Amino acid sequence: MPKHIFRLVGLIFGGLAVALIAIPLLTVDSFYRFGHYRADSVPEIAAQEPVYQTARYCLACHTPRVAQWSANSHKTVTCEICHGVAQGHPANGKLPIPKDVVKLCTLCHEAMPGRPSAQPQIEVAKHNPSGQQCTACHNPHSPKIATTLVKVTGNAAAGKQRAASCASCHGEEGISPNDTWPNLAGQHAAYLARILAAYKSGDQKDVAMTPLAQALSDADIQNLATYYAGLSCKAAPGAKAVGDAAAGKILAKNCAGCHGETGISGNPAWPMIAAQKPGYLVNVLKAFRAGLRKDPTMASASKSLSDTDITNLAAYYAQQSCQPATQGRKTQ
Amino acid sequence: MNEKTTLDARRAFLGKLGLAATCTGAAMGVGALGAIKTAAAKSESSPGPAKSEPVPSGAKGASAEGNSFPTPDYDWTKHQWAFGVDATKCIGCLRCVEACKRENDVPRNAHQFRTWVERYVYLEGEKNAHIDSHPDPVNIEASGSEKEYRFANRYKDAKVDKAFFVPKLCNQCTHPACVQVCPVGATYKGKDGVVLIDHEYCIGCRYCVQACPYGARYFDEEKGVSDKCTWCYHRITKGLQPACVEVCPVGARIFGDTNDKQSPVSLFIRNNRVQVLRPESGNAPNVFYVGIDKEVN
Repeated sequence: MPKHIFRLVGLIFGGLAVALIAIPLLTVDSFYRFGHYRADSVPEIAAQEPVYQTARYCLACHTPRVAQWSANSHKTVTCEICHGVAQGHPANGKLPIPKDVVKLCTLCHEAMPGRPSAQPQIEVAKHNPSGQQCTACHNPHSPKIATTLVKVTGNAAAGKQRAASCASCHGEEGISPNDTWPNLAGQHAAYLARILAAYKSGDQKDVAMTPLAQALSDADIQNLATYYAGLSCKAAPGAKAVGDAAAGKILAKNCAGCHGETGISGNPAWPMIAAQKPGYLVNVLKAFRAGLRKDPTMASASKSLSDTDITNLAAYYAQQSCQPATQGRKTQ
Repeated sequence: MNEKTTLDARRAFLGKLGLAATCTGAAMGVGALGAIKTAAAKSESSPGPAKSEPVPSGAKGASAEGNSFPTPDYDWTKHQWAFGVDATKCIGCLRCVEACKRENDVPRNAHQFRTWVERYVYLEGEKNAHIDSHPDPVNIEASGSEKEYRFANRYKDAKVDKAFFVPKLCNQCTHPACVQVCPVGATYKGKDGVVLIDHEYCIGCRYCVQACPYGARYFDEEKGVSDKCTWCYHRITKGLQPACVEVCPVGARIFGDTNDKQSPVSLFIRNNRVQVLRPESGNAPNVFYVGIDKEVN
């Protein structure tokens, strides 16, 4: 073999030997374990801490809230979508309650071409012309407002007979003699029937009303509701209230969506509150705020009200006329 | 005299040639050895779990548990992940984008995304769709900043024939082009089907960013590495859902294990007529779509 070829071959094998020694020194042990990559990088990537903690994490402490949320239509909107990530909570302090909820809610609910029709959507300008916060009416944990009507087909005459036992508190004509008990005359029948049924079933509790309502049959409830709805609220005396009605009027804008501008609600599922007894209104609002009376919408609406706000609101509604100015009252 | 100089020059040339040959030889040696090692690794891993391999120091947890890799609680040979997107449900709220950015420390701007949502709008009388996504200035203006995500209601008053939203993310392809082009073995397909990136080995050459037919990868200037969706690998290995699936309020994103025939994604694939993006590219994606037009790719 010629000398130069021999040298070349020698060089090649020499190079191979150098490479054989160098490779193990220069390659990380795990590099070829599964393939042409560093196997150690897999556990490194897997070791990263999750940021989103899921609703199960919240459940441990916020049990009632999670229970309410998970039972309602927003159950697919997890806690961390609105309140931010729970990583580091509670150690690093509270999670925020969103302030600009119009901006937040419209992320999903603004009517937009391309959104599937199954998604509840609003035209913001029409649905919320005054630009108030969505939470004024909607409880974010239970956003649907109950509009389902209890159908009332009672007999007013039979109701009148049964109403004899109610008269001592609610008045002969459904106008209560004092400040604490509500007027019933002219109230929506659907609302009256719903509340009486709630007392009967125990969903709503009151020392006086619970035993009385339990004694009523379903037919009695229908008859009573029909009777009181048919009465005129005209006789209601203009109640005097301690609060500042002007301040109440401003606050009442938040209530107008359901209860009407002057407390005359358009939907029979929601009560008329115009000319209602101020003492009663105060008590009811405080009961909603404290969670003693349960209604997701009212709980949300009353949450941010101070005692003064409540007195002012009651004063405003107490002074309103229970008869709509232009058209005849809707009764059902 | 003249002849001697020519001879000297020739010698010098041959000497250089010899040196070059040595270098080439060494390089070839490296290559050959690499091949030998790969083959050895393959033959070593194939006989099965009985054989104990030398476990590097980084994976001590795994060695203690025997063969569970990459973590003691998660064995990647037992899973084969897949992802479903039901575009008929997507409302374009972009909560997935927000969640992804937070979960994975993605730069909070309008240009780098691990997942994003596209809007396709066909106006009356027009043949082609108007396509926009968060980087569109109109959408950034609507959201208020590049760090918040929302679709502007820009077609509110237009006559829209048809419109829909399409969430996009890494397809974790069966034959990933990005892995093929990586010169340093910094990106690879794991045994559970997820394509991962080794940030320590990535040299930031961006070949993979260009190779991906779906635009799923981006370059993170701050870290100097390529990055992309990993289906939240750190979450799925802990039994959680990827962050985008976790927050989707309408169930437009479905995730699961195809080894489990009752998993959400198995049912999704079985009960729907699904399609993948750009099937002609030969990448064989593992994100399955329902409810998209052929314009989507």
